[in-house]
Amino acid sequence: MTPTPTAPDGLGTLAGKAFAAYRAGERERLSELVDLVTPVLWNAARSQGGAPATCEDAIQTAFLQLVDRADSINEPAAVLGWLVVVVKREVWRLARGARREFGVEEVPEAPAQQLDPEAQSILSERQRVLWKHVSTLSPRCQELLRVIAFADRPDYAAIAESLGMPVGSIGPTRGRCLQKLRTTLGTDPGWAV
Amino acid sequence: MTSHTDAIDARDIANLSHVRDLFGHADPVPSDLAERVKFAITVHALHAEVAELMDSALLTTRGAEAKVEPTPTDSVTFTAASVSLMVSAGPADSDDDDADDRVRVDGWVTAPGAQIEAVTTEGSSTVISDANGRFVLDDLPHGPVHFVVTDPGNEDMRPVITPTIQI
Repeated sequence: MTPTPTAPDGLGTLAGKAFAAYRAGERERLSELVDLVTPVLWNAARSQGGAPATCEDAIQTAFLQLVDRADSINEPAAVLGWLVVVVKREVWRLARGARREFGVEEVPEAPAQQLDPEAQSILSERQRVLWKHVSTLSPRCQELLRVIAFADRPDYAAIAESLGMPVGSIGPTRGRCLQKLRTTLGTDPGWAV
Repeated sequence: MTSHTDAIDARDIANLSHVRDLFGHADPVPSDLAERVKFAITVHALHAEVAELMDSALLTTRGAEAKVEPTPTDSVTFTAASVSLMVSAGPADSDDDDADDRVRVDGWVTAPGAQIEAVTTEGSSTVISDANGRFVLDDLPHGPVHFVVTDPGNEDMRPVITPTIQI
């Protein structure tokens, strides 16, 4: 699916450009890639329910694999999606302590998002209302919305696919997850300002 | 009524930005994660040996959030199996008014003729140590820096990389 051209330089595009430049010999552009995509990868990792240390290891491993396989990656432009897939798989592999690698199809679905009590206590009133509504969505929708929230509109479709969502589940159309969030927030007088 | 087949609109984008704020606030990306990833990539790519930080006076290692004042002549020593490296940082000697913004690093390494690369937020600067192992890197920016020591005359020596320090 072709992303809408509203923001040609979405995160995924910028990441793809930095990675292509890195492959072409501008080694320092890898730092730019790390800075760009780390927030998305952190949320992709944490949304699987992994402990912070596990998520950090998974992200580090994904980048090291990227460096090792840089020249054999077919679509440098799709590097963000590639990293999301590897991070998700790594979190599950590390969490299981399994030696073997999962195939993409074998990666289990993310659990419902959890915030520990300490994190919940620092939320603003409005964030608490939002969290209550997000919690009512299906775990898949929670995962999807959490991760794409850290990317740009042109990236939504590719990220959804990397997370294992069906093609067309989001972007350029709203899709069911965003629609549900919109509906549930819209019915809450405590949310409307 | 809105439908899931409609195009994403401004309200959806606003909702997503609230979701981003929620998770960004409740479960923030560790502040030094990106830097640690970059360091791991460098070590991996160079097949490098990581030097150990032996002592530091007033320079702080990465992870401490304290602001480091540019106090002159504080030194740090790093040791690896093949090489030791001592660096001290002070203000760059310059007549410019904004000389305070730059840092001069005086160093000594146990290998004469070694190449020392200082990797900073601005990129990297490279210098070769003299016959006594001394070197000077002038005009570095404040902030995180790590050093990579290689021996151009000895292909067999593994590069040595230091942990990141603040100058």
